[in-house]
Amino acid sequence: MKGKLMAHLVASYPNYDSSLAIVEALVRGGATMIEIQFPFSDPTADGPVIQDACRRALDGGFRVDDGFRLVKEAALLAPVFIMSYGNIVFSRGIEDFVAASKDAGALGLIIADLTPGYDGGLYRAGRSAGMEIIPVVVPTVTDKRLEEITSIHPAYIYAAMRVGITGKRTDFGKESIAFLGRLATTGARILAGFGISSGEQVALLGDAAYSPVVGSAFVREIAKGGDYLERITALTAGLVSG
Amino acid sequence: MIVESFFGSFGGRYVPEVLRTPLDELETAFREAMEDETFKNEFARLCKNYIGRPTPLLFAENATEKLGGSRIYIKLEGLANTGAHKINNAIGQALLAKRLGKKRIIAETGAGQHGIATAAVCAKLGLECRVYMGEVDIKRQHPNVFWMELYGAEVVPVGSGSRTLKDAVNEALRDWAGSFPDTHYLLGSALGPSPYPDMVREFQSVIGKETEKQIAGMEVEALVACVGGGSNAIGFFYPFIDKPFPRLIGVEAGGRGSLIGDNACRMDGTGKIGIVQGYKSLFLMDDDGQLQATHSISAGLDYPGIGPQLAGLGKKGRIEFKKASDTEALDALRFFARNEGIIFALESAHAGAEAIKMAHNGDPEKALIVNMSGRGDKDIFISAMALAPRDWILFLKEEMKIYEG
Repeated sequence: MKGKLMAHLVASYPNYDSSLAIVEALVRGGATMIEIQFPFSDPTADGPVIQDACRRALDGGFRVDDGFRLVKEAALLAPVFIMSYGNIVFSRGIEDFVAASKDAGALGLIIADLTPGYDGGLYRAGRSAGMEIIPVVVPTVTDKRLEEITSIHPAYIYAAMRVGITGKRTDFGKESIAFLGRLATTGARILAGFGISSGEQVALLGDAAYSPVVGSAFVREIAKGGDYLERITALTAGLVSG
Repeated sequence: MIVESFFGSFGGRYVPEVLRTPLDELETAFREAMEDETFKNEFARLCKNYIGRPTPLLFAENATEKLGGSRIYIKLEGLANTGAHKINNAIGQALLAKRLGKKRIIAETGAGQHGIATAAVCAKLGLECRVYMGEVDIKRQHPNVFWMELYGAEVVPVGSGSRTLKDAVNEALRDWAGSFPDTHYLLGSALGPSPYPDMVREFQSVIGKETEKQIAGMEVEALVACVGGGSNAIGFFYPFIDKPFPRLIGVEAGGRGSLIGDNACRMDGTGKIGIVQGYKSLFLMDDDGQLQATHSISAGLDYPGIGPQLAGLGKKGRIEFKKASDTEALDALRFFARNEGIIFALESAHAGAEAIKMAHNGDPEKALIVNMSGRGDKDIFISAMALAPRDWILFLKEEMKIYEG
């Protein structure tokens, strides 16, 4: 049976029309959820591959409204989550951003640097608008912190499978599975990401999490240029079939 | 309270989840250290014997006479070892890192002053050191790269974003997200996620505490300091922020004009409230929240954000913000060199420029205290090119001839 896969892309990279075609290519290959990153000038949680894609999208004139337009179109094809940074949300106004996400049909928001307790009101705004706000949890999380996070009853939790930033390969061992085991007790749907680029990893995570998340591997493929749409579809198909 | 974290609505700890653990750990260690006499004595001992504290407060007699107004005094932070105030904080945090058992230090640098201070302190205390520096800054401050490497540090060029100070901060944060178990991030300005603004201010407040003693009995009109991120300013102002006097004046980089991208003025109404690099403050950014390019002749003031405590004190009206242009800073550099035999760092020359303006119309019975946060030797490639371009270019060509010989 084919597993779930959340596939990530950077909005307006390499340009708006292509990013819509990329969503289609991902869904064609078997992606079951789409994570659309709204570029920010200073993406501190991202490695060089995604940083570069964000830079290029911004140089190409990306505006936050373009991001919502893309979400609206993508949401017709698959469930969509928006990923970005606090300043993008805050500058728009947290409630406005949540409302615009809802209007565009997004299912949830992953905002890397607005965490429970330091969220500037994001979780409250999400609750009142019926928008899922998805906290990130890391393997070094303490029990106390995990309790704080689960006390807000998130429907989804994004599990970063190692410390550090996006893009570097993660080696999965017993510890990774134990980490996912800890998270499973929370009752939330676990989205597991960071450093996942092979079918083997996806298969392994497919059993232990709600869905694996693959990001930099696709962005890297796009950066190589040429007929990347076909390659992305093939890569996605390979990932979901293990 | 030593860790305030929020200053009015500014400050906070807005970081990716992974950085919570090291920041919590750092806050605890910092609180404990500041209660520990052994730690404080060690800091004081290194301040005295290694940095050369207390730094003098000089009466700028010739400058005062020439301007014919208020009496100008200069706090000579530039006489600190490595040439600027940056080393006060570097020593404090490096001692804290040792206390935490960290073996490795990472730091960002713009002009190179914080990088040099950190590299020197790591050599002194036996810590491994890596400094992130934007490619643009590496080009304009190459001599500082040489010094950092001489101290044994590894200097890593940052090619992302605008390739300047803010991008070096981003890269250091990324490194730390994966390396915190054995690494301390030695942030150089009074900004970033809590507890950095409190911690950097605390270690830099040695400047203000000395000044307070040195000006005892004087009638002081104002304290004047340049403001990039703001570490010298907040350290200098700190003992006075809860008092109504003297006036506290922060000077931002007016650059080459008032258009976005031509200066680094955040407190003149241009800065918008944002959450960037772990803290809420005023930033130069567009409507979407993307940070904007900045410009200053001094690499140390060329940064789009401002420390949260300064932003809070600005909003409250306790600190007044002014600006000095590239040209005014160069004029001040020349003025104090000719009249006082002192070469200001280009950053500090912005404070010097404001003091010149104020002294003109000032009360002769009152004193203006300028913080010369650094000395200007490091700027020779920029100052000489701006003030004596023909001779300087000739010199550079002659040098090249020798090597290409």
